Amino acid sequence: MPYLLVLPTLLYLAIFFAYPMVSALQLAVQADVRYLNLRAEPDVTAERLPGTIAMQTVVDIIDRERGEEELASGRTRPIFWYLVEAQTVDEETVTGWVNQRNIFVESRTESVTGRINDGEPVTEWTTRHIRTMVNDFRFNSALRNTMLMIVIILPIQFVVAIIMALVLQAQPRGSTMFLYIFAIPLGISDLAAGLVWYSLFTQRGFINSFLVQMGILDSPFIFIASGQLGWILLAIVLAEVWRATSIVMVIVVSGLQAIPRDYLESGQVFGATLWQRIRYIVLPLLRPSLQVALILRTILAFQVFAVVIAISGGDVFTVLANETFRWYDRGDGGYNNPNVAAAYAGLIMIISLAISFFYLRAIRSQEETTG
Amino acid sequence: MLFLRKSLPPDQRWALFRNWVRRMGVYALAILISLWILLPIWLIATMAFSTRSNVRSFPKPFFPDPISTDTMQFFLNAEGILSSTGNSLIVAFATLALSTIIATPAGYAISRFVFRGRDAVRLGILSVRAFPIVILAVPLAVTFINLGIYDSLWSLALLHTALVLPTSVLVIASVFASVPYELEEAAQVFGCTPTMAFFRVVMPLTLPGIAAAGIFAFVTSWNEVFAAVLLTLTNRTLPAQILFSLDKASDPFKFAGGFFMLVPSIIFIFFIRRYLFSMWGQVTK
Amino acid sequence: MAKITIENAVKKFGDFVAVNDVSLSIEDQEFVVLLGPSGCGKTTLLRAVAGLGLLDSGNIMIGDRDVTYLPPKDRSISMVFQSYAIFPHMKVFDNIAFGLRMQKVKKNVIRERVQRVSELLHIESMLDRYPSQMSGGQRQRIAVARALAIESKVLLMDEPLSNLDALLRLEMRAELKSLLAGLEATTIYVTHDQIEALSMGDRIAVMKDGEILQYDHPTRVYDTPSHHFVGGFIGNPPMNFVSVRVERHEGRYSARVDGFNIEADDNMSDALSRYDGKEVLLGIRAENMEASKTPLDGALAVEVKVIEPLGSQNLLTINTSQDTLKVSTHPDFFVDPGETIWLRFPANKIRWIDKDTGAAITPDIEKLRA
Repeated sequence: MPYLLVLPTLLYLAIFFAYPMVSALQLAVQADVRYLNLRAEPDVTAERLPGTIAMQTVVDIIDRERGEEELASGRTRPIFWYLVEAQTVDEETVTGWVNQRNIFVESRTESVTGRINDGEPVTEWTTRHIRTMVNDFRFNSALRNTMLMIVIILPIQFVVAIIMALVLQAQPRGSTMFLYIFAIPLGISDLAAGLVWYSLFTQRGFINSFLVQMGILDSPFIFIASGQLGWILLAIVLAEVWRATSIVMVIVVSGLQAIPRDYLESGQVFGATLWQRIRYIVLPLLRPSLQVALILRTILAFQVFAVVIAISGGDVFTVLANETFRWYDRGDGGYNNPNVAAAYAGLIMIISLAISFFYLRAIRSQEETTG
Repeated sequence: MLFLRKSLPPDQRWALFRNWVRRMGVYALAILISLWILLPIWLIATMAFSTRSNVRSFPKPFFPDPISTDTMQFFLNAEGILSSTGNSLIVAFATLALSTIIATPAGYAISRFVFRGRDAVRLGILSVRAFPIVILAVPLAVTFINLGIYDSLWSLALLHTALVLPTSVLVIASVFASVPYELEEAAQVFGCTPTMAFFRVVMPLTLPGIAAAGIFAFVTSWNEVFAAVLLTLTNRTLPAQILFSLDKASDPFKFAGGFFMLVPSIIFIFFIRRYLFSMWGQVTK
Repeated sequence: MAKITIENAVKKFGDFVAVNDVSLSIEDQEFVVLLGPSGCGKTTLLRAVAGLGLLDSGNIMIGDRDVTYLPPKDRSISMVFQSYAIFPHMKVFDNIAFGLRMQKVKKNVIRERVQRVSELLHIESMLDRYPSQMSGGQRQRIAVARALAIESKVLLMDEPLSNLDALLRLEMRAELKSLLAGLEATTIYVTHDQIEALSMGDRIAVMKDGEILQYDHPTRVYDTPSHHFVGGFIGNPPMNFVSVRVERHEGRYSARVDGFNIEADDNMSDALSRYDGKEVLLGIRAENMEASKTPLDGALAVEVKVIEPLGSQNLLTINTSQDTLKVSTHPDFFVDPGETIWLRFPANKIRWIDKDTGAAITPDIEKLRA
């Protein structure tokens, strides 16, 4: 009975999580190609010779023969077979027969060379997409920017979230209202957050309005421009801290609520100051919550996408998710190459899994020592 | 402000003063953080309700003067906005319905039955919660193209459902767990079948929580942009439509669009605030 | 020197008055038990002494120092929590050393002190372990050790034994008593268990609804409860209360119940004179009535409802026309339900209670002396 009830969920998750994960890796390292094998006799049922020939290979025609092929309707029609000498993908020379459907010749009767233009579809393993990804001129900056964002955003988020949680835990009057306000960003999309911070950082935006009105600047300062990576990063960091700190806060508050008040009070009784109570009692007991939040936030940070586009347009500053989109995109700005896009997706997945694995191992080894 | 009382010994006044400072510090921090969250929302709302000429002006006013729906109207009348809003609603409602239908039985099973592998199921569901949609969207888009269901709102809803399903299951499980099993047993003792007991006793008690999970699904779908731009071409959802218009769009369009996307989130968070902790706070070991 | 003086303490939570104008004075090195049912304010009062919840009004002095508004760390107190509040992320050693570390005591002193208190509590072999691996009883010992380690002048204990199972509680009670007897700390001990209170306290303060009803030595609290509630709360079975009418015959007062007169002690005459002809409650402990199977002089004939052989005694349940009485008899005293027995009420064992206020009616002490 319970299995029946969870089955739909498990099936669904298998289809929409497990399958795409495998599929992403597959797309990234596989290519659909066509190869041709020559035949020993001018006949479709004849034995295939070893050695495959790539498409577009130019071959010498040694001999030709006009045969007949039988159609499904029972009638027959003429078909040309060519004896060719060709280089295989392993750069060996083979001689064998190929029929007119697989080769392009200028003249059926006269040409002495031809070009192989069709063959058997084969899926082969390749590092081509990965190489394309790594060699792309945006790859390094996308990787660097993504890592930089994570390194800068996460510590800020955790400090702010812990402060927010402690403020709520102190239960000032109106703490339910404060909780609601602190939680508002939970529902805000990264696109909306990006637009909000765009309105602050754009050339004629609120920050410039403020600075000029206060007389600090004479004319608006251009934050978002190709040479201003620092300012763009700052705007994105602020937008992300603004938007995504609430999730950490909620996790930390849940963690705090699970700490019995007695622990803090006994800390008080035995002489610990506020800072000592936080340092020696709250933070150690909060560690499991913080670790889970850390995994969650690190992985989610790889999804940062719309914020970047909304603030910077996506060209002067780029991140991994943005590149995934660019390579997939079938529109004007995109490269329409799902394989390279999948390579980016696979990269993100591997980094995410590695990070989770690393964190979980760290947690486990700590649990082993603390028993 | 007891610490001002002169009759108290100095060490006590000092202790009271420190208490007072600490309490005021908590307030100051709470207000500061609230401002940090609310101020940007206020500013973009200011823009959304100014005239378009005010939006373009510099320096920008910090209060809308005059208040006008000009900018919002301009945004809503822009090409593709209304239809994409409709698309977004369709996808969001489909996600809500589908995720609720699939997640409710699973949540019930996890909270009510002790079965072999329950912890594994829980952990599995929990661990996919954080999975980046970036990874899922590309291969699924390719698959959908191969299956001929690309550029369809329904296939996007399928993906969004996958996205919210783990959280929905966990929230609904915690909602069911809050209704004691004894109530169901009591209903059965007094003549209900197990199914009747579920619908007459458990359902009414858990409906608000399940609704909250549904709202969560709705908001997630409404906000989601990456899969939306990948999986749709002509049937764009609102975030996808805005994202694609950004490079050509004027500031009034961007500000009004940002505000328009923000409003439902703020309202929905208000309705599900009781369930915040079961939704995002669950840290099961 | 740590005499604790609480004056006119009031603590409210919203509209609920948890501690209502309580004054209490505790001598240096005395062991005082705050006893009462849950919600009576005993824990609130203890927390106020600890500084974990400031009073709304009133004063608390520890020694000569007014500590009313001081934080816990400036009060030279230590405390054992009901839940023990042993830090799960610290080893036993670090738990016990916690208070000393906060006081920045030198390392070698810490080690020596932790060693000493852990030997005192027989947990010296567990110092390197984490509390999560330990039983409730062991955690309790750690909590006590941690409280003793800082050698504070005041030791506060909030229901320290209530989370232990019955057998362990019995064992720890005796051990704790002998342990604390050797200490110089003034101790306040909160419990809802009257046996703990009777067995451990130098004095017991019985609390109800935020007020102290009686503050006295255990035997006096037991034998001469000052209030209807105290008699009913303390003792197992609790004190019996019988509704009687005070009557006066030939200059002596007596209580009339079911057509029978129970003579009052002579020294009660003055006090009872105000109640002539009125209903009062007569309180008497189960073990203080004399039961006989044969008619006795001046004894009330009653019918036995239930007889419960409890090993050390046979407990009889007896109905008068209005009340139910529990009578404790010798285990050899066998009767069948429905049998009639005769009960005698020794005048000096009787407590007289005002039916309206619940307060005990006591002879005027001044007159008694004169």
